[in-house]
Amino acid sequence: MDLIAHLKTLCATPGLSGHERPIREVIASAWADLADEVQVGALGSLTALKRGRGRKLRPRVMIAAHMDNIGLMVASVQGEFLRVSPIGGIDARVMPGQPVTVHGRRDLPGLVVAPSDFLLPAGLRGGVVTVDELLIDLGLSAAEVARQVRVGDVVSFAQGQASLNGGLLASPAIDNRASVAAVTVCLEALAGRAHDWDVLAVATTQEEVGLHGALTSAYALAPQLAIAIDVTFGSGPAVRDFADRCYELGKGPTIAFGPNLHPVVYKHLVDCAERGGFSYQSEPVAAHSGTDARAIQIAREGVPCGLLGVPLRNMHTPVEVVHPQDVYTAGRLMADYIAGLGPDYLARLARELD
Amino acid sequence: MKQLIQKLTEVYGPSGHEDAVRDLVRAEIQGLADSVTIDPLGNLIAIRKGKGRGGRKVALAAHLDEIGLIVSHIDARGFVRVTNVGGVRPLYAAGGRVRFTNGAIGAIGVETRRERPDHIPTLNDLYVDFGVARAADVPVRVGDVGAFMGAFTVLPGGRVMSKSLDDRAGVAVLIEALRRLKTSPHEVAFMFTVQEELGLRGAGPAAFTFEPEIVLAVDVTATGDTPNGARMAVALGAGAAIKAKDTGLLVDPRLRDLLVKRATEARLPYQLEVLEGGRTDAAEMQLARGGAVAGCISIPCRYVHAPSEVVDLGDVEAAVGLLVATLSKPIEL
Repeated sequence: MDLIAHLKTLCATPGLSGHERPIREVIASAWADLADEVQVGALGSLTALKRGRGRKLRPRVMIAAHMDNIGLMVASVQGEFLRVSPIGGIDARVMPGQPVTVHGRRDLPGLVVAPSDFLLPAGLRGGVVTVDELLIDLGLSAAEVARQVRVGDVVSFAQGQASLNGGLLASPAIDNRASVAAVTVCLEALAGRAHDWDVLAVATTQEEVGLHGALTSAYALAPQLAIAIDVTFGSGPAVRDFADRCYELGKGPTIAFGPNLHPVVYKHLVDCAERGGFSYQSEPVAAHSGTDARAIQIAREGVPCGLLGVPLRNMHTPVEVVHPQDVYTAGRLMADYIAGLGPDYLARLARELD
Repeated sequence: MKQLIQKLTEVYGPSGHEDAVRDLVRAEIQGLADSVTIDPLGNLIAIRKGKGRGGRKVALAAHLDEIGLIVSHIDARGFVRVTNVGGVRPLYAAGGRVRFTNGAIGAIGVETRRERPDHIPTLNDLYVDFGVARAADVPVRVGDVGAFMGAFTVLPGGRVMSKSLDDRAGVAVLIEALRRLKTSPHEVAFMFTVQEELGLRGAGPAAFTFEPEIVLAVDVTATGDTPNGARMAVALGAGAAIKAKDTGLLVDPRLRDLLVKRATEARLPYQLEVLEGGRTDAAEMQLARGGAVAGCISIPCRYVHAPSEVVDLGDVEAAVGLLVATLSKPIEL
């Protein structure tokens, strides 16, 4: 697999929260050959099952990467223009001037525009224009807009991709297609290897609006162990004050620890990285991780979870930046960890917890 | 329909105290369902078995409860301090009347705040005045719950006004749909839920038990058609609102499109809804167990959570029609 081409395809495919069908189809075709079975859950999450060896009832490890990305939804049609509502955490500061695709009766190119400062209500002048004050200009007549667009249509960012110096990739939707690509790497790495556990690779839905896909998939699949993978804050310009919460691009994925995560799973992931010579960074997560790991951890009677992070700059903007090497390393690390799971691994987790 | 809504709104039922509303609904639906049960949280669930093939398990939800107040403190002079049960808006509450479970009625006063004439009242500025002179004569105790008063009234334009149209209008839609639904291939659970106003507390467990494949909530939504009102593409009288999004739910586009198709076929007025700041039972029900495809049919309502909520009966009729049309046919997504 050409990782960069795969990542670019994933990032270029629409898949807004709750509207993941296009990206799900792309992922399904990438994972189908690497798994024994592919199925779609009630909320649209995609699960690829790769069976472990042995005929007995095998334990199951879930690897979860959310496939949805943030965007906008048409809230009202006002003549030639559209008002929008955010889907997920939109950073209003970078919205004006963004090219978008409005998924109406057909896909329509448009621009996010902000009214001139002096046309805004007095209280809103001189600051960041909030999402509800933004407009989308499609360059069409009001009559044509009325024919093509209706309330509830979704809007994707259409900012192009850019290869930056040093191998970095910039694109919308790297959160969290980078992690989906890492799962593809993992499945590929497992293709030639024996593993005792069944692997449930899950591309979850609606993470950006409340971890919905992970919560319901974890219930439906009832795994005994889970690794979630998501992006994390990369170090970059003007993050000095938050340096202890940001991670270097190109220095490997983060392995997270904290109350949301199982301490022994963390330790084993670290051991695995050390043994395999993978670069990694340790990431303390003091509370709710804000990732699928949170929802999976408390599904059913509880699931021991690990969490990997792919360092990412400019999170929740259309110019997210990632180092593809971190994606690759994360995938290989997950594969090594999974291949190392023995039939008695759960007992080992309990034993080493003391 | 008008009489049914009137009867439902006139009953007392703040969150956690839905008994009287539940009793009324149970009487109204007697003999219409294959089973009627009350679950441990108090949800009333009427199940109609499906006939024929290709049926799905469908859960409909409208909540029985209304917002209210709960006594937090009583001062020496007998003024009763309260906090909210659900999304109480102090501006709407001030100057109104509140009736407690034991029937005691009080006026809702607001501190004058001479030092801050522009101050917008908060819950902390409100108190209930029972017209007593000392604490010993106050007819309620800390922890007692009350509901706002607001009589059912037909406005000159024909629209109706009352307290608790949120969500008795939705309850009426479910009852009426149960009456009008002749045959359905689906096993349909009509869920009259409790404690929605406190955070959708009844609906989740009800869905966990029934395990629906498809969920449809029926609840009120805000409108954008009042002077300097919210910016929202929903208007009173423009038909049932088919939800696309609210704070807790992204409606599955396949279900949304199906509802639009059924409304169009049946020539029912409808509008598409994006609501900022509001959730319905569907948000919680979609997450029960392995998940369910969820949508919502909304009834446009002005002044939601005021004692004078206003709805258009044409919109309510359209919601009943849309629900019946959707349940009468196969649901293929």
